[in-house]
Formats: sequence, C-alpha cells, structure tokens
Amino acid sequence: MKKMKLKYDRSAYLLVLPYIIFFLLFVAYPLIFSLVLIFHRWDIVTPMQWVGMKNFERLINDPLFFKSIVNTLIFLFIHIPLQIAVALGFALLLNSRIKFRSMFRTIYFLPVVVSGVVVTILWQQLYSFDSGLLNRLLMIFGIPKIPWIVSPEMAMPSVAIMATWKNVGIYIIMFLVGLQNISAELYESSNMDGASRVQQFFSITLPLLNPTIVVVLVLSTIGGFSLFIEPYVLTGGGPMQSTLSAVLYIYNQAFYFNHMGYAATLGFVFAIVIFAVIMIQKKTVESESLE
Amino acid sequence: MAVHSIFIKAMVKFLLCLTLLFTGCSEKNAHDASVTGDVITLTYWPAPNPQEVQLADSIVRSWNRLHPNIQVKMQPIPVSQSTEEVLLAAIAGRTTPDVCSNIWPGALAEFTRLGGLIDLDRFADFDSAIISRTPADVVASLRDPNGHFYQMPWKTNPVMMFYNKRLFEVSGVTGVPRTYSEFYAAAKNVTRDTDGDGQTDVWMGERDIRPIWWQRWFDYYCFYIAASSGKTFFINGEPHLDQNASATVLEFFRTCYARDYFPHTFFQGGDPFLLERKATHFAGPYLIATLHSLAPSLRFGVVPIPVPDGHQGPVYTYGDYKNIAVFSTTKHPKEAWEFVKFLVQAKYDLMLLQIANQIPIRGDLLSNPIFAEYFKQNPLMIEFARQAVYTRSVDAAPDLKEIFDAISQEYEASAVYGKKSPMEATLAAQKRINVIVEWNK
Amino acid sequence: MKQFFKYFLLTLGAVMFAYPFLWMFAASLKPEIEIGGFSLWSSNFSFKNYEQVFARIPIARAFFNSIIVSFSTTFSVIIFGSMIGYALARLNFRGRDALYYLILFTMMIPFQITLIPQYVLMVKLGITDSYLALIAPTMISTLGIVMFRQFFMSIPQALIDAARIDGCSDLQIIFSIIWPISRPVVITVAILSFMASWNEVLWPIIVVRERTLMTLPQIVTLFTIGGQAEALLGLQLAAATLLALPIIVAYSFFQRYFIDSMVSSGIKG
Repeated sequence: MKKMKLKYDRSAYLLVLPYIIFFLLFVAYPLIFSLVLIFHRWDIVTPMQWVGMKNFERLINDPLFFKSIVNTLIFLFIHIPLQIAVALGFALLLNSRIKFRSMFRTIYFLPVVVSGVVVTILWQQLYSFDSGLLNRLLMIFGIPKIPWIVSPEMAMPSVAIMATWKNVGIYIIMFLVGLQNISAELYESSNMDGASRVQQFFSITLPLLNPTIVVVLVLSTIGGFSLFIEPYVLTGGGPMQSTLSAVLYIYNQAFYFNHMGYAATLGFVFAIVIFAVIMIQKKTVESESLE
Repeated sequence: MAVHSIFIKAMVKFLLCLTLLFTGCSEKNAHDASVTGDVITLTYWPAPNPQEVQLADSIVRSWNRLHPNIQVKMQPIPVSQSTEEVLLAAIAGRTTPDVCSNIWPGALAEFTRLGGLIDLDRFADFDSAIISRTPADVVASLRDPNGHFYQMPWKTNPVMMFYNKRLFEVSGVTGVPRTYSEFYAAAKNVTRDTDGDGQTDVWMGERDIRPIWWQRWFDYYCFYIAASSGKTFFINGEPHLDQNASATVLEFFRTCYARDYFPHTFFQGGDPFLLERKATHFAGPYLIATLHSLAPSLRFGVVPIPVPDGHQGPVYTYGDYKNIAVFSTTKHPKEAWEFVKFLVQAKYDLMLLQIANQIPIRGDLLSNPIFAEYFKQNPLMIEFARQAVYTRSVDAAPDLKEIFDAISQEYEASAVYGKKSPMEATLAAQKRINVIVEWNK
Repeated sequence: MKQFFKYFLLTLGAVMFAYPFLWMFAASLKPEIEIGGFSLWSSNFSFKNYEQVFARIPIARAFFNSIIVSFSTTFSVIIFGSMIGYALARLNFRGRDALYYLILFTMMIPFQITLIPQYVLMVKLGITDSYLALIAPTMISTLGIVMFRQFFMSIPQALIDAARIDGCSDLQIIFSIIWPISRPVVITVAILSFMASWNEVLWPIIVVRERTLMTLPQIVTLFTIGGQAEALLGLQLAAATLLALPIIVAYSFFQRYFIDSMVSSGIKG
C-alpha cells in the first residue's frame, strides 16, 4: 500500500483524454486495420476484395522484397560502422585541448538540421559521373573516375556515405558528451602505470563509452530502416534495384502500383524484421557488456 | 420536429421538380422536347487531346443531324488524370458514359473485372461490322480470354524505325538495315567520335536506360512482337513468353550496349534524334509532326523495326491501340452500338487521318480510293498504313504496369548492364509474371 | 606538431561539412555551363535560376504551407505533451502506469506498419489534400510526453501544492506555474518537433497531391524528380538552396538549442 497516494485525481483523465483519442485513431486503428488489409486486395478506387493468404504467398515468391531488405541491411552494415568511426574520431579530436571547439561543433552539425532532400540534391551533383565534384577531385589526382551512383555495386555504399555525412554531427556531439563524462583521473592514474595512449583508448575510453555507443547503434539502426527519401531522389531505387530500400519498395507497391493490401502485408513483415534485428542487437550488446 | 419534417418534405419536392426540369430538357437539335423522354441521349467521351475532340465534335454533329431521336452528347475526359484512372473511378461510382473511344486494351482487365463493359459480340451484326474493317488476326488478338469482345478496334500508332538519312550517308552506310546483322554493320560505321575529343558523339541508337515500365514498348516489346511474328505475353489468358524470341531480342540490345552502339548514360541536353546525335529512333507516326516542326532540315525515312536474321514473313510491331467500348451502365445498348458503327465509317477514318494523323485499324487503307488523296499528300504515312495491320497491342491482363516493370528490370540487368544472360533474364521474367498473374486471380 | 595535425584534421572536417553548402549556393547563381567547377565565384552570377524556380513552382505557397503545418504541429505537441506529461508525472489516477507503458510501447512500433493504414484512414475520413491530414498524425509526440514527464517529475511538490491552495486548476498549474521554470524542456521539445515536421517529406508525398497544399520539401522533391527542372542543374540547386535557407537561418540564431535538443533526445531515447 502506498501511503502518499490518498486519492485519485479525476481531473487527470481529462488531461490524458487527448492522448487516448490520438492513440485510438492513429495507433490502434491503423494496427487493427493493417491486420484486416493484409488479407485483402484494394486499390482505393474499387471495393476491397478478400484474398485470404494470397498476399503472403506472393510475398514469399517476391525476390524484390527480399532484395529490398538485404539492400537496407547492406546500407546499415556500411553506414553504422562508418558513422561510429567518424563520429568517434572527430569527438576525440574535439575533446582535446583545442580552441574554436564550438565553432567546429556548429559546422559539423549543420548537415543534421537541413532536410534530407537538400542533402540528396546536393550529393547528386557531387556524385555525378562526368562532371561531379568528387570525380573532378579524383581526376586532379590522376585517379580514375568512380561510378558512384551509376554502378550497381557502388550505389548503395554511396548512399551510405551520404547518409553518414548528413547525420554524423549528432553522434560527434553525443560522443563528445560521453568523453567529457569520463573523469580525467582515470587517464592520469593509468599514465602513471605506464599505459600507452592506444592502451588507454581500448581499456578506458571504449568501455566507458559503451553506453553511448549503444545509443548511437540503436538510433542509427532505427533511422536506417526508414531509408526512403535518399534513394527516392538520388537513384529511384536503381541501378538494378541496388538502392531499393524496403520502405521505397513498400511505397512503390502502394502508390505506384496501387496494391494497398500487398503493401500493408510488406509493411507488416518488415516491421517484424525490424523488431527481430533490434532484439538481436539488444541481446548482443547486453552479452558483450556483461564480459 | 414537426417544422423540420415539413421543411424536409418541401425541399424534396423542390429537388424533384428541379430534376424533372433538367431531364426534360434535351439538345437544341431535338424535335421532341417532351418531359416523358422520346429522345434518347447518349454520352460519349473522346480522348482529351484537341485533335480528337475536334474530330469527335464533327462526328457527333453529323450523327445528331441524322438521328433526331438519338442524340449524342460529347464530354471530354478531364486532362489532369490518366483516362484509365478516370474510367476506373467512374466504373466504381457507376458514373460511366455510354461510349468511350479512348480505351487502352491494357486497362481492359480492370474494367471487365468490375463488369464495367458490355460484350459487343452480343449484337448480331458484330462479326460483319468488325471483319469488314479489320483483319482477322488483329481482331483475334483483341478477344478477351473468356471468349467475348469488349472493344471495337479503332486506331493504332505502330512503332517503326525512323532513321537519319544524312548520318547514314556521311558514315558510308548504303541501304537501310532491316535485320540485326545489318543493324550492327551500320552501327559500326555510324557510332564514332566526330570531334576527336575521345568521346563518342554520334550513336546508332539510344534508349532511356532507366527501367521505366512503358519505355519497353519502344525497345523490348516491339522487337519481341516482331521476332515472334506477332506473339504477345499471354496465350488464352495465361502468361507464356516466347522464350526464344525474348532471348534473341535481349541479345540484340545487349550487343548494342556491349559494343557501345547505344550510350550507357542518361542522355542530357535534349532529344538526341532531333539533335542528330543518333541515327535511329523507334517511334510512332506522331514523330513526323514533331520532326517537321522542330527539325525541319532533318532528312529521315521510316522502315519496319529490325528483325532477327533469317526472319520469314511480315514484320509485326507494337501498336499503341485505342479502341471503342460501350459501358454496362448504358440504358440503350443497341443505340450505343449503332453509334460505335457510325464512328468507324471510312469517311470518319479519313478524318482521323487528316485531323489527328493517327492510323485507323483498317485493312483497306491503301486500297480504298477514299484514302488515296490523303496518302498522296502524306507519303510517309504509307509506311505506317502498311504496318497498321501487322500490329499487336498489350494483352488485356491485370497489373500490366507491374508486368512491364518486371520485364524492365530483367531488360536492365541483361541488356544494359550485361549481368544476366538473355535466357536467364527471360526465365526470371516469366517466373515473376507468373507470380503477378497468380496473385491477381 | 601534434596540435597542427589536429587542427588540420578538424579544419579538413569543417571544409568537408561546410564547403558543399557554399558550393551549392554559388552554383545556383552560376550559368549552367559553369556549374561543375570548384570555384565559389563566377563573374556571371545572377539570380536567373531563382526567378525560374519561383515561376515554375508555387514555392512561396509551399513555404507558407510548411510554416502553418510546422507551427501548428509544434504548438500542439508542446501543449498536449505538457498536459499528458504533467498528468503522468504529478497526478495520481487509476491506470497511470499502464498508460505510461502503453506510451512506451507505442514508441517502439515501427512506422512502416502503420503507414499504409494511416493513409487509408485519411482517405476514408475524406481529409486527404488538407492541412489536417498533414498535422493530425503528429499532433501528439510520445517522445515529447516522455521528455516532459521526466522533467516535471523533478518539480518541487511544494510549488504545486501552493498553487492548488490558491485554487488553480491543473491547466493553470501547467501553463502558468510550471512552464515558466521549464524553459529547457519546452524549447527542446519544440525544436525537435519543429525540425521533424519541417523536414518531413514521405507523409506529405503520400497524403497531398494538390500542388497548392504541398509543403516546401515536398515541392522541391517533386520539382527535382518530376522533370519540371528539365535536368537543369542550376534550377535544382536553386530549389534546394531555397529549401535549406529557412532552417539554416533558424539554426544560425538558435544553434545551441538545436544541438542540445537533438543530442538530449538521443540520450534519453
């Protein structure tokens, strides 16, 4: 029995009512309706048609859906390590004794606030094969041009690099905060024990940064699964569907081919995949931190 | 409460009166304007482009003069959406017209699935009306899998090969290529670097390398129809690619890309055929008007698209058909059918040629004297007229967009990027089309 | 020496992050042929591309739409977030903990599963192509609620009790007593909400087809891939600059708040 809670506040219900309504409309209804939609076929214009398990049958035989999920995972596998490495690198630099720290911070954070559309239009020019800035830079150094977004092999890595450039600012600052929270005494005492900088990094810095790394990992993963506007604008999903992300494929099925029921099914299965990946991540991270 | 119900009843009566007033009114041309409706009114939707609206206007006027008791009212389709979307919404909302002459065969499956059209072969004179105008094999290709006919063939835009005479001459190409080998031989001469900057400036041909579904009509699909001597993707409603034809066609484009006869990147800076940067272009008769107005000094010719070496028989191609259909909401099917027959008379087919430069699907275009003067004035259209009866449309299959999307992706993988062999791509395409069709059943 | 190396790397980084924006702006002012060069200067600078963008698409209207949608959303998020966060933090009612867990659960639901049904809901309610459709699904932010709740939990109870004794209702307590001392969290949630709403593009593309109702990122997206720009790079870059401008202006004034907001949301999330 809790002593402090003497009576219930009826007025509270009025305060939370907006959320209840919101929840029913925008969470409960869509979830329930998605369970209805996945057994139907619908193009909005004509009446809904019951199709039973047909959407799932089709999904199993849909190489493009699996490709889109694999593409998304490839994106994550390139983007996340790159992001962590770059963010940590800059954070370490900023954490040392330097001036103009906040000026650098401000500049590094700039791509974060800008819309993904701006970044994509900009990078379309940087990545252009014939006249793009990146290839011109390479040509100055005598390096042959790279087919950034016109080669099926390079396209997704190029998207990953662009996404890293856009988002790394937040994570630089997060790591900076994490680094600044590590007490200087730890370094001093290990210095006296004769530890090298590299040893200090691996035995002090990384372990104590672990919570931050976990946060960066989870946020990047969730963000990565919603990859849409970058491939949509930059490559349209090509070349050879190498940049077709799962959300882009779902969008195409729903709004290009008008297969609402099938798209809802894809969304449903994809949500399960996301859940599974995040669970696996959680387990892996938890077991590592126990060591 | 009582006041409300009185008010509502009054409103209802008022609205009823209004409705009677409006239905009672008929066209100014009508002799009988009685409220009981001796005059039948049919609504007709032509395509929304200015030429066809003009043509429709003439036809409707003539009809209304000749048929005082059956008046036709013309309403153009709103331009902002595709006709297929508008018609589909109309079928679902049961607001369809009686007749529409902008029916694309590819959308037919959606229309018939909803029961939106009437079968025209219920009319006793259907066979004679259609056979007198259109060759039998074209008619057969428009038959629905359930055996009925839901469309009256009207006009087509056959895809043929335009070629730049000057570019052929300056590169030493004599004669116009008609087979794949001849095409490669010509391409070898034509594709070169004219200003010595190390980059090719003139190509034999060019295609949009992005896998956009309808672009295949102007490369893979028309070539497939030619190579298979008139087959499409479906036989009796079941998907059945002619695998040899498909692989041969993919091999052709793959070769063109592998040998750099076609550019590998998206061409920027305007239409390459108009700019005389490519020697061949696959298009329909509408290109003639464009060339006359935007590139008047370009000397060009038109021939059927290339076929595999050793090909026998006529060259078929893809024709972008638009046909006429009668909707199931019609209250006067017999009268609507009479109007349809009226629409396809020779003299209006001639007007279609004159006003819109589009080819009616007639077998007698070059033999019927009524057209002689027109073809004398427009000799280039003779090639298209000759080709018109050797065309195929898309199948009346559901989800055509996604079927062609699947084809586009295999084409991209095999022809543009050379990552899959033509047969592998063909089999993969067949598999995906099977899944799509199965899902639609 | 080490210091030099550090500054070199940091400056290289700064160039990497800032130069592309400067180039984008400069290129949008150059004539088409000169785009592609590294230089940030051209003797042929002109605003022609911008004139063209304004002529071809209703970009001012789109800016206006974005303002309306983003401000409405942000306003709604902080009002409702405060109300519900307060109730969860300071009031006692049956089902309070269950509600909190429900909110946490909702946060975990990937949008991919609710996207299509939510669109269908808009169609059924007949509100596609409306401001309502753009604002409603994001009117309440679960992250906002969580952040307000966390902050409000640390408000001294004495303050609230005093206000109660004076006869204040809950709403008065929230907005007249608590808000003045909650500036950090209010600003944080406001900035997060505003940024997310301003830059959102997938949802507008789905629910709005009417050009006069499109948001700024949406119209620039469609301009770029829809062919109206006719593959003219100058036009595309000009449109992109116009899209970036408002938020960069806001950022230059409120840098610290932007940075702190987004970082703290991550740490708490």
